[in-house]
Amino acid sequence: MLPEYYEFLCPVKILSGLKALSNLTFEMELLGVKKALIVTDKGVSDAGLIKTVKKAFGGSKCEIGAIYDKTPPDSGTDIVNEVAKLFLDKKCDCFIAVGGGSSIDTAKCANMIVVEGTNDLMKFQGVERLTKPLKPFVVIPTTAGTGSEVTSAAVIYDRKNKTKLAFASGLLFPDIAILDPKMTVTMPPKITAATGMDALTHAVEAYYCLQKNPVSDAYAIAAIRLVFDSLLDSTLKPKDEKKRLAMLNASLLAGIAFSNSLVGVVHGIAHATGGVARVPHGIANSILLPFGMENNYDKAGDLIAELAPFMGATTTGSKLDQAKSAVAAVRELANELKAASGLPTKLSEAGVKKDQLEEIAKTAINDGSCTMNPEDITYEVALDIIKQAF
Amino acid sequence: MEKNESVHKPSLAYRLKKAVVGTALIAFGATFEKVSKKDEVIIEELKDWEEGLVLSLGVLPFGPAISMKKKDGYVKYLGRGYKEDPSLKILFKNVDSAFLAFTGQMGNHTAFAQHRALVHGSLIDGIKANRVMGLVQTYLLPGIVLNKIFKRPPKYTFKQLLLKGYLYLTFPITFSMNMWK
Ligand SMILES: NC(=O)c1ccc[n+]([C@@H]2O[C@H](COP(=O)([O-])OP(=O)(O)OC[C@H]3O[C@@H](n4cnc5c(N)ncnc54)[C@H](O)[C@@H]3O)[C@@H](O)[C@H]2O)c1
Ligand SMILES: [Fe+2]
Repeated sequence: MLPEYYEFLCPVKILSGLKALSNLTFEMELLGVKKALIVTDKGVSDAGLIKTVKKAFGGSKCEIGAIYDKTPPDSGTDIVNEVAKLFLDKKCDCFIAVGGGSSIDTAKCANMIVVEGTNDLMKFQGVERLTKPLKPFVVIPTTAGTGSEVTSAAVIYDRKNKTKLAFASGLLFPDIAILDPKMTVTMPPKITAATGMDALTHAVEAYYCLQKNPVSDAYAIAAIRLVFDSLLDSTLKPKDEKKRLAMLNASLLAGIAFSNSLVGVVHGIAHATGGVARVPHGIANSILLPFGMENNYDKAGDLIAELAPFMGATTTGSKLDQAKSAVAAVRELANELKAASGLPTKLSEAGVKKDQLEEIAKTAINDGSCTMNPEDITYEVALDIIKQAF
Repeated sequence: MEKNESVHKPSLAYRLKKAVVGTALIAFGATFEKVSKKDEVIIEELKDWEEGLVLSLGVLPFGPAISMKKKDGYVKYLGRGYKEDPSLKILFKNVDSAFLAFTGQMGNHTAFAQHRALVHGSLIDGIKANRVMGLVQTYLLPGIVLNKIFKRPPKYTFKQLLLKGYLYLTFPITFSMNMWK
């Protein structure tokens, strides 16, 4: 049952629940900082969430040095350099990311630039290349999906070289993650559904892919239970703070799981689908997850079967029957989310064109996620999954 | 090669393992150069590599290591050490981990899953290199080992089998020609 060898790391302090945000400045003082650069995007700011964060500074010794609210969905090297410059110009001493994966990863990369004293991130690509600890770093997620507040990874687009730069390092973890349901109640239903399915995909793939370990398993299962309990409700009733908090926790737990066990073919193809056809990450994962699970019946069917009870699926019959019922439960959830929010369940419904399928397959097999997939992912195998999901 | 600044004297077992890994690395580099001109699947894969890409395969903290470069569409074995400022490095964290991989006890994906190996540089390039290195391994290791460490047993064409036989027969010559690079 135990892997021959594994490692596990999550040094992030977690504050979760009612009025969690009110502890922001107390935590800043513990960290020994008082002037924050807030990194966010327009959608988050327009939803009034930066106002909410500003209020949390009231009556404290801490201040906001500057707010960067122009993070685009495909944040790039030019943006992170701009953010780093703002940090230095305004003499800030800590970063606060307020947003989804895009804002969080932008803050992570800008932080890297500040501490490494460079504007060339190229040479930090890869695994464990950072040499200095980040500046104090607080993350306040406003989506419940990427789990980036507790992961050791960041991805950024390099516009000059037209490629994605990926970083993984034990030094990339934020110090504090603040999960406050106030910050996600404004999320529109379709983004709620898509980002929630991203969290589910992290947990499911972390559970059956090659780097799994008993610690990440525990996090993955806890995440899966919460997603099946709360994702549909938080899509249908956006203001329900209990369900929102449950999904924030699901996303965080799944983030801890996959930061330590990595993901598989679903993410490999989802990244490629995002790159080639601009399909948002959560939507692509949601569409591909059942097909990716089916692809792994042969190598990891028993593990997939173990997930059935946490998805409310049947636990009778052979292992394969149970794995199939787990996949059916994922499909059912996706269909319910489709009815609730218009979440696509086919790549063709998400704007992918038939003549893009081969390019997606070609890109997917060069994605690191496929390495940790139990089944061998050749071009032919990837194309087959993509065609089924089309 | 990075300068050896180790404080503790390595044991005999450590030095032996290091010697085995060093030898296996040279064998790997030399074989890679040969098959990159002959195996059609590898030739096709290499089309997707940037011309001039320098790749090193090494062991932390003080080697051994080898470097290779894509030149005129093929792979050229540059010799021992980190030569020509490699943009891509695939590194084992220690000699024990490299020994497991180079003696066919552990597949590449398992070495990565067990945090024994890591990529410095573009992860996309790293994945492409890893895939081709798997193909090179099929020429170096016997089928029975490959079936154990690969996710799926490799399938050979008749031509590839012939090439594997030829490489086995000429191995002493290939190795001795590249030993001192
Ligand atoms: N570092 C990691 O570990 C990791 C993991 C997975 C994904 N990612 C990255 O995360 C990105 C995707 O992140 P995401 O899915 O969270 O989406 P996102 O950050 O791109 O946000 C999506 C949209 O939702 C809006 N939004 C966010 N919160 C809102 C709220 N509370 N109310 C109203 N609108 C809101 C934003 O303005 C934006 O338009 C991708 O770029 C991906 O590469 C990183
Ligand atoms: Fe994801």
